Amino acid sequence: MSNILITIGRQIGSGGLEIASKVAEKLGIELYDKNLLNLTAKGSGLSADVLEKKDEKPVPANRFAKFLGLRGSNYTDPQFYSAGSVLSEDELFKIQSSVIEQLADEASGVFVGRCADYILRGRDGLLTFFLTADMPDRVARIASKRGITEEEAEKFIQIEERKRKEYYGYYTFKEWGDSSSYDICLNTSRIGVDAAADLIISLYHQIYG
Amino acid sequence: MVPVELGTERIGKLLKQYAAPAIVAMTATSLYNMVDSIFIGQGVGPMAISGLAVTFPLMNISTAFGTLVGVGAATLISMLLGQKDYKIANRVLGNVVMMNVVIGLVVGALSIIFMNPILRFFGASDNTISYAREYMMVIMYGNIITHLYHGLNGVVRSSGRPKLAMYATLLAVILNAILDPLFIFVFDMGIMGAAVATVLAQVVGLAWVVKVLCDKNHVLHFSKEIWKFDWKIAKRSLSIGMAPFLMNVASCFVVIFINNQLKRYGGDLAIGAYGIANRIAFLFIMLNMGFTQGMQPIAGFNYGAKQYDRVKKVFRLTALCAVCTMTVGFIVAMTCPKAAVSLFTHDAELKDISANALRIMLSMFPLVGYQIVVTNLCQCIGYANKAIFLSLSRQLLFLIPFLIVFPLFLDINGVWWSMPASDFISTVVAFFMIRSILNKLGKDE
Repeated sequence: MSNILITIGRQIGSGGLEIASKVAEKLGIELYDKNLLNLTAKGSGLSADVLEKKDEKPVPANRFAKFLGLRGSNYTDPQFYSAGSVLSEDELFKIQSSVIEQLADEASGVFVGRCADYILRGRDGLLTFFLTADMPDRVARIASKRGITEEEAEKFIQIEERKRKEYYGYYTFKEWGDSSSYDICLNTSRIGVDAAADLIISLYHQIYG
Repeated sequence: MVPVELGTERIGKLLKQYAAPAIVAMTATSLYNMVDSIFIGQGVGPMAISGLAVTFPLMNISTAFGTLVGVGAATLISMLLGQKDYKIANRVLGNVVMMNVVIGLVVGALSIIFMNPILRFFGASDNTISYAREYMMVIMYGNIITHLYHGLNGVVRSSGRPKLAMYATLLAVILNAILDPLFIFVFDMGIMGAAVATVLAQVVGLAWVVKVLCDKNHVLHFSKEIWKFDWKIAKRSLSIGMAPFLMNVASCFVVIFINNQLKRYGGDLAIGAYGIANRIAFLFIMLNMGFTQGMQPIAGFNYGAKQYDRVKKVFRLTALCAVCTMTVGFIVAMTCPKAAVSLFTHDAELKDISANALRIMLSMFPLVGYQIVVTNLCQCIGYANKAIFLSLSRQLLFLIPFLIVFPLFLDINGVWWSMPASDFISTVVAFFMIRSILNKLGKDE
């Protein structure tokens, strides 16, 4: 039988990570989230701190660099662009992609974010989910999780989500959070965290037996 | 996957391994540029050399528009092939062709329509404009060919077939070198012959690249489904290409400004002399770029792996290689400038002016080697803004004021001296900038 591969894209504050870890725990398979960074670091020889700075963010961060479209490629020698530096965002995405593919080859797993649905597309045993939640729930969850006010939480969500959206759109040519980009979309405000986890598992079993 | 050997293998060996192919490619490119100048200078005359030098900025602008599409498309395709997303990769290929055709047509048509005012603005005089025009008209009628050839060659390179792309380049270089004397001397076509040779060589290069891209056995190839314009792809590749585009345009305006100052203080021959000296300088700069390209993956990886001692080591070694290379250029310029420039002309007056220009322009060359390596190091360890600043400082920020002020006191020699002066100051800035970066490495955490 092929490996169980579940990918979970999530709005910030939709409880995606919590649900993903429940799914992984109940199925007794690996959960890949932030720990992907460490695995990528180990696989590539790069430092995890360096990778963390660029995790799920569309770099360049500053406006000037963004206007110029700088992505670490060889822009100072315009005539002779090279493949780009090892530290360029594109190069790091390539490294992380190959780590994700390797993990999916080796064992079953639940992958949170990081374009895993795109990277693993077309594989046997893959089911892709996207989780949403109503704004008040998301604000409340982020506020309590990070110990900040609701206004701050709302701002945080807006800023971080824009980065996530850009990151996903940049690498996958699909729309982040658009229902046509995923197999199944769930609103966790309606069904709750536990039910969402159970639903994901039972849907998976229904589809793959 | 990143080759882990970047973090363990001996630095000297790595640098050799990564720099060698880049150096070969760079040399080929700069030879390509030299050949036209040599045949035109020898076969047509000193005014033709000046006419040719006037056209450089226009050719640069055309190249800039080529890279605007080409760089982004090549980056995207390499990315998408890595993800095995063949469908979209092929769509990008189709869009590259379409964008190149459109941009090539527009740039070509506008240049042809406004050829005279453009060339005047670029520093052409009554004596040189006929040569510049004759040459440029042919080049601009072939503009689509040029764009497609460079664009698609980049695509082939990024699709994992660098050797096939290199063959196309070599084919065009060699063909141009054969056709140039044929058209100039045998058919007696003058400067127009050089342009026809250039365009024909690119037609053959393009044919080769198209043939490669028709190979159905490779995942990336032409087919009926790819001819659909896609805004998202266009936007993406243009946004990646914007930085190189703007750098190209900036450097082109600097050359226009230099040409105009030269014309004002030294006349047409000074422009021709600049063209000659620049071709020689370019050869060494390109060799230097070969070393820095070899350095980039090594410095980038080790910075990412926090092996800062190795970053410093590869930086020092590359800087040493660069300074040595540029010192060779420096020695040539100081000891036998006449012999070097006589490759391009046998006119005694132009030879004198060019030799003088070469000696002054290259007087800070060893420093330039260091400055370029520092700029590239900043870029590949993520200091993007600093890299841009350093790059602009030498070629624009310090240069322009010097170009305005120096000639007021030194006349034509002031124009020549503004270049090494800018080299010197920008190297000092680069030195202090990189010293503070390297000192901080690993200490801020």
